[in-house]
Amino acid sequence: MKYIPISVLAILFCTGIFSSCAEKQDFDQLDNFDIIPTAEASILYVETPEYIINQLNGVNFYSQIFNFDAFSEEFVADNVLDGVITYEVENTTSKPLDITFEFLDEAGNVLDSENFMVNAAPTAILTREIAYGPAGRSLDIIRNTSAIRVSATNLGDNISVSSLPSPAIFLRSSAKFRIRLK
Amino acid sequence: MIRKLLSLIILFTGYLSCYAQNKEVLYDFQEIPQAIMVNPGINTIYNWYAGIPFISGIYAQGATSGLTVNDIFAADGLDINQKIRDRALNALSERDEVNGIFQVDILNGGFRSQKNPANFFSFGMYVEGYALNYWPKDLAILAYEGNADRLGQRFDLNDLNTSGQFINVLHFGINRQIKNNLTLGARIKLYSGIIDIRSTNNSGYFETTLGQNNLLRNTLVSDMKLRTSGLDALIDANDNGSSVTSLFTKRGFFGGDPGLGFDLGVTYNLNDQTVITGSLLDIGLLYHSSDVTNYTLKGGTSVEGVEVILPDALNDPNADFWEDLVDEIEELVPFEEDSKNYVSFRPIKFYSSIRYNFGKQGTPIAADCECDNNAESGDRSLYYLNSVGGQLYAISRPRGPQFALTAFYQRRFAKVLALKATYTVDKFTASNVGLGMSLQAGPVNFYIMGDNLFSYGNVADSNYASFQLGLNIISWERN
Repeated sequence: MKYIPISVLAILFCTGIFSSCAEKQDFDQLDNFDIIPTAEASILYVETPEYIINQLNGVNFYSQIFNFDAFSEEFVADNVLDGVITYEVENTTSKPLDITFEFLDEAGNVLDSENFMVNAAPTAILTREIAYGPAGRSLDIIRNTSAIRVSATNLGDNISVSSLPSPAIFLRSSAKFRIRLK
Repeated sequence: MIRKLLSLIILFTGYLSCYAQNKEVLYDFQEIPQAIMVNPGINTIYNWYAGIPFISGIYAQGATSGLTVNDIFAADGLDINQKIRDRALNALSERDEVNGIFQVDILNGGFRSQKNPANFFSFGMYVEGYALNYWPKDLAILAYEGNADRLGQRFDLNDLNTSGQFINVLHFGINRQIKNNLTLGARIKLYSGIIDIRSTNNSGYFETTLGQNNLLRNTLVSDMKLRTSGLDALIDANDNGSSVTSLFTKRGFFGGDPGLGFDLGVTYNLNDQTVITGSLLDIGLLYHSSDVTNYTLKGGTSVEGVEVILPDALNDPNADFWEDLVDEIEELVPFEEDSKNYVSFRPIKFYSSIRYNFGKQGTPIAADCECDNNAESGDRSLYYLNSVGGQLYAISRPRGPQFALTAFYQRRFAKVLALKATYTVDKFTASNVGLGMSLQAGPVNFYIMGDNLFSYGNVADSNYASFQLGLNIISWERN
């Protein structure tokens, strides 16, 4: 330190420590930041054995309204962007059946419906995907759905029994929705 | 602004915090009194010192592994969503973390015993706050992308690992030269916890698989807990417009959660020029017993939607299957709240070093210090202009200890100036060069140090940064 005074060295040091900079950061990018997960879950499963169908009188052997508030929950209703509901109908009974899903609002009004005509067994599993949102049906159907009504009509007899093991009609459904969290 | 703040929290939750807490520049920097705080067994070379209240020790540090602010917010014209996907979601692991810590000395002082000059006592009080957050990888993916089209993928709830603490520490230490070549030190710390938040040791998973009856099955197995102390009072004070400062003061001065801790340290001269040191800091715990609120989510269930299986379903024509399902889930995986007291352990820090002194000159650098003037004294480092050596640092962390390795060079200029340069490798960076300076102007000691200086060109792109500075009055005269 013969040639550089200590005071100068100290000042240089402090200047160096305190001298920092940062490239320009654009925090406004957060305005474009999207959090949009796609959630997927089952909705409704109904299983009716053939012997029950045979026991029930009348052609329209089954009709029931299920309370279903998952879609109309404020968080979902306010933030859902689009989605798909998948139905699967499997018939291993000896009867052709007519199955109808109906989405109802709180007042019981039908918002949407989906009908399935299934032949007697043996027949393939019937699968259908219904889109909601800009590329499909109105999202208001989803937002306002408070209940689901399932109706089944027996288009066959009340005697025959399928030779398949544990014959029954199976109704399966699931939903896959994009929901904006931000 | 609030939206941006919330967005930042969402983005960096689990990722922003700091807690490497390595003070490698300060460690064994004998000219700076605060070095005794990281090694109570350091060789003390002054008669007494008094830190200027509130400015004797100011320390802050931030560290991130795997991601920097610049990675996301650089004005580079790229889509922020793509940057987050590429640089965070698809790049970070659950071991990546963000942490931050600050410490401010309220009081700090020390004096040599008149009865026995081999004893040096130190005391003081400081406040410390830290936050540590591991990147909650699976939960981030679940929140950002959802569970769709991810059959069989388990989202690990253990990825949530976060903690934060704000405490006041009252400390008293004794430093004793046992033999010519051995100095030991110990310090007792009385903690007063102000705020504590922690969610660690979570377990469980969320998984979507093909259903047994229906199309999909969602399974949640959870043993999660969030423990808080002092948080409700803070929120209430904020909501009610009452003074947060008075709340902090009240809880900080032993109106909060009590705790006890110890520091230990040693310095041993292998020979006239070679010195080894070591210390263990914050061996202690806090008992959180005031204003405690805990939240738990514990249980397990699998759901395949509303399931109606005839003929059983016909038994109750008024059954509300949806409500039954919701009730069943809430019963099997209850979200509960309690106020049970709990214990938290302080993160233990370990330092060790080996130092080789060279470039001897005739009188000690701290000229007025006569403590090294006789052959009976301990560390004779101050006779030497230069020191070179290595340091090892470790800290206990929720996901295992973290280590840092440091090489250093120290140079003393006449009686007034000492500089220390360090090069450190740890999980945050492998190019961490730090510098520290102690400037002595009469009895006034000023020190300043900074870390990871190469990143100062663009701090936003830095994985690690810290600084420390302080002002003391030092008396070098022996009694």
